Amino acid sequence: MKKLPLHTKILTGMVMGLALGLIAIQFEGLSSFTLDYIKPFGTIFIRALKMVAVPLVLASLIIGVANIGDISKLSRMGGKTLAIFIITTIISITIGLSLVAVIKPGHKLPEDTRQKLMTLYDANAESKINVATEVKTRGPLQPLVDMVPDNIFLASTQNSRMLQVVFFALLVGIALLQTPKEKGATVLLFFNGLNEVIIKIVQYIMMIAPYGVFALIASLIIEISGDNPDKAWELLYALLWYAITVILGLFIMMSVIYPILIKYFSGIKYMDFFKGIRPAMLLGFSTSSSTATLPVTMERVEKHLGVSEEVSSFVLPLGATINMNGTSLYQGVSAIFIAQAMGLALPLSSQLMIVLTATLAAIGTAGVPGAGLVMLVIVLEAVGIPAAGIALIMAPERILDMIRTMVNITGDASVSVVVASTEGELDVEFAKKHADE
Amino acid sequence: MTKKKKLPIHIKILIGLILGIIWAFISSYLGWNKFTITWIDPFGTIFIRLLKFIAVPLVLFSIIGGVANLSDVSKLGRLGGKTILAYMATTVLAVAIGLIFVNVIKPGTYMDEDQRIKNRLSFEMWLQENEMPPPLDGKSFLDDPTYAKYLTAAQQANKLTEEQKKDLQEKMGAAQQQKESSPLQFFVNIVPENILFSISNNRLMLQVIFFAIFFGITIVLIPKNKAAPVIAFINGVNAIFVKMVDLVMKAAPFFVFALLSGVVAKMADTPAEVFQIFIGLGSYSLTLLGGLAFVIFIMYPSILKTFVRKLPYREFFKNMSPAQFLGFSTSSSAATLPVTMECVEDNMGVSKSISSFVLPIGATVNMDGTSLHQAVAVIFMAQLHMVDLSIGQQLTIVFTASLASIGAAAVPSAGLIMMIIVLQSVGLNPAWVAIIFPVDRPLDMCRTVVNVTGDATVSTLIAKSEGELSKYV
Repeated sequence: MKKLPLHTKILTGMVMGLALGLIAIQFEGLSSFTLDYIKPFGTIFIRALKMVAVPLVLASLIIGVANIGDISKLSRMGGKTLAIFIITTIISITIGLSLVAVIKPGHKLPEDTRQKLMTLYDANAESKINVATEVKTRGPLQPLVDMVPDNIFLASTQNSRMLQVVFFALLVGIALLQTPKEKGATVLLFFNGLNEVIIKIVQYIMMIAPYGVFALIASLIIEISGDNPDKAWELLYALLWYAITVILGLFIMMSVIYPILIKYFSGIKYMDFFKGIRPAMLLGFSTSSSTATLPVTMERVEKHLGVSEEVSSFVLPLGATINMNGTSLYQGVSAIFIAQAMGLALPLSSQLMIVLTATLAAIGTAGVPGAGLVMLVIVLEAVGIPAAGIALIMAPERILDMIRTMVNITGDASVSVVVASTEGELDVEFAKKHADE
Repeated sequence: MTKKKKLPIHIKILIGLILGIIWAFISSYLGWNKFTITWIDPFGTIFIRLLKFIAVPLVLFSIIGGVANLSDVSKLGRLGGKTILAYMATTVLAVAIGLIFVNVIKPGTYMDEDQRIKNRLSFEMWLQENEMPPPLDGKSFLDDPTYAKYLTAAQQANKLTEEQKKDLQEKMGAAQQQKESSPLQFFVNIVPENILFSISNNRLMLQVIFFAIFFGITIVLIPKNKAAPVIAFINGVNAIFVKMVDLVMKAAPFFVFALLSGVVAKMADTPAEVFQIFIGLGSYSLTLLGGLAFVIFIMYPSILKTFVRKLPYREFFKNMSPAQFLGFSTSSSAATLPVTMECVEDNMGVSKSISSFVLPIGATVNMDGTSLHQAVAVIFMAQLHMVDLSIGQQLTIVFTASLASIGAAAVPSAGLIMMIIVLQSVGLNPAWVAIIFPVDRPLDMCRTVVNVTGDATVSTLIAKSEGELSKYV
């Protein structure tokens, strides 16, 4: 028998979980069985994801900064590429956050369901609300102060202090760049090794993902509906709105932001660009992996859009690992959706924190398979939203993953075109002729 | 512009410090205190947090590195003995200087005689209320009819405000805990139960030091080829933290500005009020400052001069000034530790293995300034309440104060908690610490400078005696 690819397995897990949940709510015995003997596997999956969050942030950000620092030192082009990557990432998260704030998909759930979710996922729900009111009385610069750890070991023992770990890792990365090579080498080697180990661990965790997702979705549907099956449909309805929000955001990136970028910073017509990159987009859609699509993206950009090989071979591989516009947008929307669904009101400072963490998480978790989930856990923990809430958004995850990969790839390609154009390495006439082929 | 860049770091910090104070006065004059506290003060907090989170790993890794690089582990025992001895000697000296100052100047007697009699009466009433033995000098003002007219006023004076009471209660609780422990508790406390927990708690620095020394010794004892990667890693991490200190110090002048303006702005709303606070306790503050200045400018340099002849007087201050200014603005020797280490190593030429061993211990154990302050403050308060203390009683204070200084964690204002213990141990009213509350923070800043300078002095001395001083030989 041919082995099923992981994403198909996850998709199966989702569908089966959904089915089990919907069936179980009809039978008393089955639903209590599910809660007692199936739900714990979902919890184990979430805990496993949380477990790797701190070491992953630490190791991968230190390595990431050290590498990126070398890149930007290396050339003007490196600095420019990184700057554009970061700017587009911030723009995409901001779009996501604005959309989710306007559409409020989480509020499609009725009030009592939201309260139920809150108590379900967060034992200390009450205290958290108290904290939220306390936040209002604190000084405006307090979030800045809270970002700086006063003891890094303490910070790394608490997932809620993720930002302090991020801050620390950035500082270590920067300091590492400035220490003499012979002294820093061992440390860099150590963290590289650590990073590899953790990525391997993430791969192992992803192997149980289908079962975890199955358990999470089944128990979620049982718990949310109780004896009223309509509740389950209400959840799916809210999820539909959530998916629409994400897709709308991604669509705005594709139809507004990238065209503006292409139009003002290069001579290519957007239609030409679009036609030229289309095969890569389609492949990204079906594989949902920018790394797997990379060869095709490079070929399209070089042979059909007239970007010089020098630029494309530098910008695209880098983009495939650190530039994830679609993923970042998805994270912003998801974090707020989960918060909305639990009735947590996030102050502006938390939203800014989401922008910050999601951007950095994108840099840090470069090329980690299943990174989307771990990154989301990191973002949620950093802002203080119970990470178990990701069970909520599991159902449409697969489809959204496909679409956001498409956006990631388009983003990388646009940046490569813009960088090539400003470096004078873009052949506009060539693009006109060959884009269609 | 280019000229400004070349200013040495200590001058820049000094400028930041002075600007901070000036800014605080201007802002309080214009009624902008709230702005200063909301928008400037947080940067001061950030600065202290930055330094603190660097301090623990730096202590951990630098001690491990330092011990592991020692050629001969048996040297460690001698080094430890010397360090403790030197710290104790400087502390005793500092306390003695404090006693001399406070007995010669008698700051407590500058106050109005009537007020002092009232103080005395209320003190005796407090003793009776708590069923404590009579005052140390054996006199009783309560039974003396000449003082009867002050009685009612004295009763009123005994009442504290609610807020003061609450604050006191907290501090007394902490003091009680400290007192109830066995004398050997200190050694028990040095051994960590869970090393990761100790590292994650800034107050357990001594446990981290213990672990680091132990770890360092063990590295020396295992085969070289197995130890090599560990040592390389630890040295690398250490280099990174040292670089981090450099990065943070680049912004130090700005941070110091924020710290100082915050401290002054929080103290009072208008410059006049700040003045008022100091005038009330002027004689006390001046005595203490006199004592501290004597220790910094005469005691340490002359000790150093005796042993390290080639070190010019001014050069010592030039070398140490970044750490001193930082100690002044953060009032925490633990937060200043990373910079102290840098100053001592780079400017004074103390070898890394000495400084990384002696300084962290000093930051937690050696508190010359704090113990001097204890002595001066306790005797000042006794004078204020017309309690005459004999030399013997004063020596008890010296002894308790020195022990207290060892126990005091290297955190701001821990000194006040220790003072409560000292007051209790000699049968005085611990509530008196409330008297010196208002000026404690600025004085804390000054005594931290002494603590930091003391640590640096001792580490230089020990380096010299071990032949590990690369300059001034």
